[in-house]
Amino acid sequence: MNRELAGRVAVAGVGTTRYGKLPEYDAYDLGVWALKAALDDCGLGFADIDGLIVNRIPDYQRFGEITGINPRYTTITPGQGRFSGICIQTAVAAIAAGLAETVALVYGNNGRSAGDRYGGASDAYGSGGAGLWFPYGMTSPGAFHALMMRRHMEQYGTTTDQLGAIAMAFRRHASLNPDAVMREPFTLEAYRAARFICEPLRLLDYCLINDGGVAMIVTTAERARSLRKPPAYIRGFAQAAEFAGSTFPPDDFWRGPMAKVAKDVYAMAGAGPRDMDALMIYDNFTPTVLFSLEGFGFCPVGESGPFVADGKLAPGGALPTNTSGGHLSESYMQGWALNVEAVRQVRGECGARQVADAALVQYMTAAPVITSIIYGRDPQ
Amino acid sequence: MSEYAKPLPPDDPANRPFWDGAKRGVLMLQRCLDCGRHRFPAARYCVQCRGERSEWVSTSGAGVVESYCTFHRAYWPAFAAEVPYDVVQVRLDEGVRLFSNLVGGRPRAGMRVRARFDPVTPAVTLVKFAPE
Repeated sequence: MNRELAGRVAVAGVGTTRYGKLPEYDAYDLGVWALKAALDDCGLGFADIDGLIVNRIPDYQRFGEITGINPRYTTITPGQGRFSGICIQTAVAAIAAGLAETVALVYGNNGRSAGDRYGGASDAYGSGGAGLWFPYGMTSPGAFHALMMRRHMEQYGTTTDQLGAIAMAFRRHASLNPDAVMREPFTLEAYRAARFICEPLRLLDYCLINDGGVAMIVTTAERARSLRKPPAYIRGFAQAAEFAGSTFPPDDFWRGPMAKVAKDVYAMAGAGPRDMDALMIYDNFTPTVLFSLEGFGFCPVGESGPFVADGKLAPGGALPTNTSGGHLSESYMQGWALNVEAVRQVRGECGARQVADAALVQYMTAAPVITSIIYGRDPQ
Repeated sequence: MSEYAKPLPPDDPANRPFWDGAKRGVLMLQRCLDCGRHRFPAARYCVQCRGERSEWVSTSGAGVVESYCTFHRAYWPAFAAEVPYDVVQVRLDEGVRLFSNLVGGRPRAGMRVRARFDPVTPAVTLVKFAPE
């Protein structure tokens, strides 16, 4: 990991649309809406963009055509949530290498209005061989995580009430976030009463499919300092993949690749888990939060259940996590909105849900591609 | 008799030995002729040694339930009458993993199982598992 890169690139602007059902906007429109907001956030214009990375929006050329962006560097990535972290890392690397100075990262998702389903005939989760298992009724990323959770329960005694503590904590954060789609806190009794989708997971363990767009403007730290908002410095980033056998849940709950990413990202940032003021954990389903906390060393292996049960992830807790409400309660923006929340936290602009004196905030995703990014209020 | 309405396996020519074996009541796997590693679904190259030479071999069909989950939601109309139903994640003794269903009873993690063959249509026999 290149420590010299730490703090040299920053997020200058962030923009988000409303989240929910927005049938009059397609994915391109949602991306443009978010990008206009991100440019306004930092005081730049379309002509300042010389790098363009689009995600989930179907076509980069069409996006450039409708926005009049003619970049020096462009790429497009598949509409999978693991790619938000990958895209941000690519932007940092492109800027560090001089391929571009100011990169627009644009995400548009009209999945709710388009009726996207994550299970059944259109299931394309993982490496694409899912059709082989449809005859047995096996489908959906939710079921994949249900299988992982069942093993965690068997091996370590983890309980579904501990998943409930995660879902309740994120909903309490969402109750403080005007942009969140689901804002009404619920009790453990209500969690237990929620219907099972794929047992042991209930409806309240699943993320919220919605329409929305997110954009980020990433540039050199030097340029970011001259703009409208305080920079959110990229203090560390790392990635590791585990593809072999990945049609099936990993034996180690992705601890192997997470350990590599943790080592690299903390070394680059010159900080460790205890230094993080808040976490943004990719919460496609509640168990992923447990696996991430163990994999990144926030608690010993097998102890994530008791670790979260006391509410430490909730507002005012020792380790505020997904302060926007995350994918479970704000909206499933596939990691993008969690990265924006990290930026807003280190800027100190989160209002009622602001974490006091947030200097370092870590984003992480546990999936066949593990990524993590540490955002800092200060460059060093 | 009503028509079988659940999804059927994709008719991938590369996997036909597996499904032909199932019709005969034998669990067949592809095996690398260079390093001996078993695999399914079929692939041209071995993931372990990248060798290209392979054969299909019969196996005992024995394995262990690594995990399971229980569907309460039907993602296909034809499964609506069956919810809640279990899906098991089985690791065969040859190391290959399959998703399947358990015939007879509820799964437990660590349960020893053996393949059972379920002829769901004249053309297709699914590979399911029963406790040993």
